[in-house]
Amino acid sequence: MSRADDVYVVGCGMHPFGRDESVTGMDMAERAVREALADAGVAWGDIGYAAGGSDVSGKPDTLVGRLGLTGVPFVNVQNGCATGASTVLAVANALRAGEACLGVAVGFDKHERGAFHVSPARYGLGDWYAETGMMLTTQFFALKTRRYLYEHGISERALAMVAARAFRNGSHHPLAWRRKPLTEQEILDSAEVSPPLTQYMFCSPGQGAAALVLALGDRAFDLCERPVRLASLAFRTRRFGSFEVFSPWLPPGPHRSPSVDAAEAVFRTAGVRPADVQVAQLQDTDSGSELVHLAETGLCGHGEQEELLAAGATDPTGRIPVNTDGGCLAGGEPVGASGLRQFHEVVRQLQGRAPGLQVPGAPRVGFTHVYGAPGISACSVLTA
Amino acid sequence: MTTRLVDESLFENGEFHGEDPPRLAGARCSACATVVFPRQNSCPRCPEGTMAAHVLPARGRVWSWTLQAFPPKPPYRPPSGGHRPYHVGYVDLGDVLVEALLAVARAEIRIGLPVRLTTVPAYRDEDGTEVVTFAFRPERDGER
Repeated sequence: MSRADDVYVVGCGMHPFGRDESVTGMDMAERAVREALADAGVAWGDIGYAAGGSDVSGKPDTLVGRLGLTGVPFVNVQNGCATGASTVLAVANALRAGEACLGVAVGFDKHERGAFHVSPARYGLGDWYAETGMMLTTQFFALKTRRYLYEHGISERALAMVAARAFRNGSHHPLAWRRKPLTEQEILDSAEVSPPLTQYMFCSPGQGAAALVLALGDRAFDLCERPVRLASLAFRTRRFGSFEVFSPWLPPGPHRSPSVDAAEAVFRTAGVRPADVQVAQLQDTDSGSELVHLAETGLCGHGEQEELLAAGATDPTGRIPVNTDGGCLAGGEPVGASGLRQFHEVVRQLQGRAPGLQVPGAPRVGFTHVYGAPGISACSVLTA
Repeated sequence: MTTRLVDESLFENGEFHGEDPPRLAGARCSACATVVFPRQNSCPRCPEGTMAAHVLPARGRVWSWTLQAFPPKPPYRPPSGGHRPYHVGYVDLGDVLVEALLAVARAEIRIGLPVRLTTVPAYRDEDGTEVVTFAFRPERDGER
């Protein structure tokens, strides 16, 4: 593929994550888009294609009423945890197809406190499943983590190391929600939610918004000194034999996650190896998930995680920095915005202007990964 | 006081007599032998087979487990005494792993624990009917 067909990120914007009763989801989305436009040095009127995603906070395309009634095509996406990646995919494909040469991807959400509301019918399940207390995402993460630790001989302390690093990174990040560092012992001693996971090993549904301006080919270099290339993006749903949230039954193992498929595809298309990644974002709805995703995406082998964590290899100064902004654990999880937060952080790292801790040595290869219900994953490779 | 099963379609025989717990019924694919629970009319693995009702074993082993410490939001319906933390997990029944409530004490619970099908109270209907659901409890000595 020549440079003319490549899609680049030329601007990014983000509303701080957390909880702020004074703003709506749409308010945050508008701010994120305006920030991204200003970052790229373009106006809303220059945008030829847009996609937006939100799980619970309104129809994204109504943002045109605030940003400008320019007639721009605007696609709404509601794709669970892959919402952000799906908006990027929609815009990137439109640019490559010649629909436009400048596009915007935006994601936002504002959730109620506490665990997500669930509807068994929405997932094709009987009411009994929720009525008897089995339809909780937190249970799934705990069950998957428990089994994973058992099969790979990993200690529960490794779960605390993941969370401690997340809060440590978050404490340096101006856009993160949880900015107080916690020790491993404080994390292990926090309230038991669903063992082996404690309260501080889980992220909370929260609020936030993030947006990107994407540009095609040479236009990107006209606009931006350091455009970041979207080397590849892969989105997969589950195949038979995966171990997913809201599963009243599973086939006997081994279980293969859609994260494995998405990661393999994205590395193959980008022509890079997992070992080439210099800054990574992994879905960390909880410590266990990040631990599992480290290996499922190929960034390390199964069972190697504890040693990597203990050696500081996933710290911003380590060999494979993970969730340098504190991830979902420090940022919370506004479902529609979470995936675009990952892009925001990796783009800024590759441009050498991270809002929080900057990975040293001018990293050139970045990676993002999301995973969610009912068994979806999206990964991307970004290059400087 | 009357008692009913939470959802008759989950069980081999939808009537509950309070003696032996009714067996769980899934479905099995005639082509690839995949076993699913609850029953469904198409195979998630292959396009060829037809699905027939398949009674699941009453004994298995805990495959993974956790605790539900906080009261879930509705549509969860707590037992008549209110929510108390409870264990859940997957039980390995050979051809299929089934997610279930685990009537197992914390001191005893572990991956690999032999368990047996039972029923436990789930919630009470507005008319006072006790609604029970399936669960697994530790297998007692001499039950094998």
